[in-house]
Amino acid sequence: MRERSLLDLDDLTSDEISYLMQRATAFHANPPGRDLLRGVTVVNLFFEPSTRTYTSFSIAEARVGADVVALPPGSSSLGKGETIEDTALTLAAMGVKVIVTRHPESGFPYRLADSFAGHVINAGDGSHAHPTQALLDLLTIWTEFGRLAGLKVALVGDVLHSRVARSNVIGLRRLGADVTLIGPPTLVPDAMAGDGVHVARDLDAILPQMDVVMLLRIQRERIAAAVLATLDDYGRSYQLDARRLGSLASHAIVMHPGPYNRGVELTDDVLGYGGWRYAQQVSHGVYVRMAVLDFLVNGRA
Amino acid sequence: MSEVLVRGGRVVDPSQGLDALRDLRLRDGVVAEIGEHLEPGDGEIVDAGNAFVAPGFIDMHVHLREPGQTHKETVATGCAAAVAGGFTAVACMPNTQPTLDTPALIAQVKRLAADAGLARVYPIAAITRDRAGVELAPFRSLHEAGAVAFSDDGATVASARVLRQAALYARDVPGVFISHCEDADLKGEAVMNEGERSMLLGLAGEPGLAEEIVIARDLLIAGDTKKPFHIAHLTTALGVELVRFARARGFAVTCEVTPHHLLLHDDAFVRFRADAKVNPPLRTPHDSEALRAAVRDGVIDALASDHAPHAREEKVQLLADAPVGFSGLEIAVGAYAQALPGLPLARFVELLSLNPARILGVSGGTLRIGAAADVTVFADRPWRVQAARFHSKGKNTPFDGLTFPRQALATIVGGAVVMEGGSIRSRAKTNRE
Repeated sequence: MRERSLLDLDDLTSDEISYLMQRATAFHANPPGRDLLRGVTVVNLFFEPSTRTYTSFSIAEARVGADVVALPPGSSSLGKGETIEDTALTLAAMGVKVIVTRHPESGFPYRLADSFAGHVINAGDGSHAHPTQALLDLLTIWTEFGRLAGLKVALVGDVLHSRVARSNVIGLRRLGADVTLIGPPTLVPDAMAGDGVHVARDLDAILPQMDVVMLLRIQRERIAAAVLATLDDYGRSYQLDARRLGSLASHAIVMHPGPYNRGVELTDDVLGYGGWRYAQQVSHGVYVRMAVLDFLVNGRA
Repeated sequence: MSEVLVRGGRVVDPSQGLDALRDLRLRDGVVAEIGEHLEPGDGEIVDAGNAFVAPGFIDMHVHLREPGQTHKETVATGCAAAVAGGFTAVACMPNTQPTLDTPALIAQVKRLAADAGLARVYPIAAITRDRAGVELAPFRSLHEAGAVAFSDDGATVASARVLRQAALYARDVPGVFISHCEDADLKGEAVMNEGERSMLLGLAGEPGLAEEIVIARDLLIAGDTKKPFHIAHLTTALGVELVRFARARGFAVTCEVTPHHLLLHDDAFVRFRADAKVNPPLRTPHDSEALRAAVRDGVIDALASDHAPHAREEKVQLLADAPVGFSGLEIAVGAYAQALPGLPLARFVELLSLNPARILGVSGGTLRIGAAADVTVFADRPWRVQAARFHSKGKNTPFDGLTFPRQALATIVGGAVVMEGGSIRSRAKTNRE
């Protein structure tokens, strides 16, 4: 039987998401010691540069006592024409139990998981999914409000190209939050609307009603691709600045998956805002990843 | 003297308004006699009891990959796939390596087909040299060498000026222009249709607009130049309406649909595998419904498989890297019947035989006395697709494992039985004996 993997948040029930958040919180309060994954070999197979996710996974793996091998980008034979299934067979034959992978193509972890006799954790695939980022975001919101059901959450910016946004939408809907996607139609197409997922264009009209505002990274390449005009023009409609912060409800929090562009999707005013939760998100990332590793390898505690 | 008697079948030949139980005698490569209860001669007998007998099916859109990509398919293996699927003739696209843009290459393909001794092969030559969209191919010489139509296939001629000049220059050369309509710039890096599905999967999508904008352009060029155009593999509801518009204006335009666009949608991307990656991409249920309706109401002229075989190791790559297309010849007849239940048989035969012959200006499409003895015998018998058993080198299809309601039982080319009950016999070998 195929071992359980975490490829996107729809691999988890809402109950399992809640469990993982509680488990991460428990690990935060009481470090579990290094026996949880003793003797388990984990490979970090990253085909794309990553600082925070890579480091966060590495720390999490160390804290649960796994034996970790990192394959830096470019070192894999996949680049030399080996098929995905042959890579999976090779790693499994070496006794690798868990592969944590990031890849620029959407779907790579699915193709890997279909051939690998072990657990695959998706650390970000193309524009598709980033489930552990979404889990740490959900945990940040849950820690703040004690619930997700009924909360109003806005995702602002380049939703179309954001794996963080996609996984968050799945998780937020699974736990009963109400989601609004905001940006120009080239970054937030009308077709992204769905059950409990609204598409809006007017950030100023939306902000006062939101409990959570998640900003997404704007990439400058989008200007050359003609999906975005100037950064200044984007900012006029969608940058979170002092004036827009002033329109937020007093309890509202602001999040960003990082790395954020000062002066683009946010101004420095956001970094001094009382509800800015970026540091908590990063901190939660380590505990969520510990919980995911433990859950996939050992099952529920 | 060779003779074949096709006995006991329901002969469906829209070219002469025939739909009745008849025996069919083929002699010396032509249809010699049609009648009730013909006496067996000394030749072979093909039992067509509880089956249909039609003028040979012609697939006007296939890729045979030779010269240059014989790891995907050869003319011989492609012809085996054709006759296994019930096709007596195929028209093959020029996207070989090198491109079919010289008389010598056209002659080479025809020679390879003759050596195979299975289906008839009608090469389609390029519109522009090396399908680069810049300089015109030598239309007259290509025609004289045996090219029956012209197309740059998936390398849509980007310049309206070049395409218009080509159509004017080639207007008096026999051979329809076949348009694969996709605007490369609007397509970008797309691997599937743009829509809710592509957005859920985080994959780059191609809007239907990328196809429709080129269909509109090419239809207008057809009207402007008076050169006949054939729109390959329509995929969208609006594309159908554009063809309807052009035809209402009296433009000389025809069009085709494929089995996959009739039956499948953009939800076919299972676990990010590339089995269903194809150009133009699979669209929405709304689109395939419009295509099926257009077949029934007469807008669609032909059914064509866009048989596009690839090696397994190519097709198992990531979606972005995997090539487009899949084998179609051996599932086509079954898939069409699955997509179009209750379609009158005469219309089915017209779409697969009479109309492709007319569009391409080739023999076939009829069982009149004296016509070439190209015959397809088929029946409404369910069968299961097993891609691993394809005669084509390309073992990939999104239909693998499905059951289809109709199948070819025998294929007769030039009076020789080249397929019967799934087993294949080359005419070439018979001739040598």
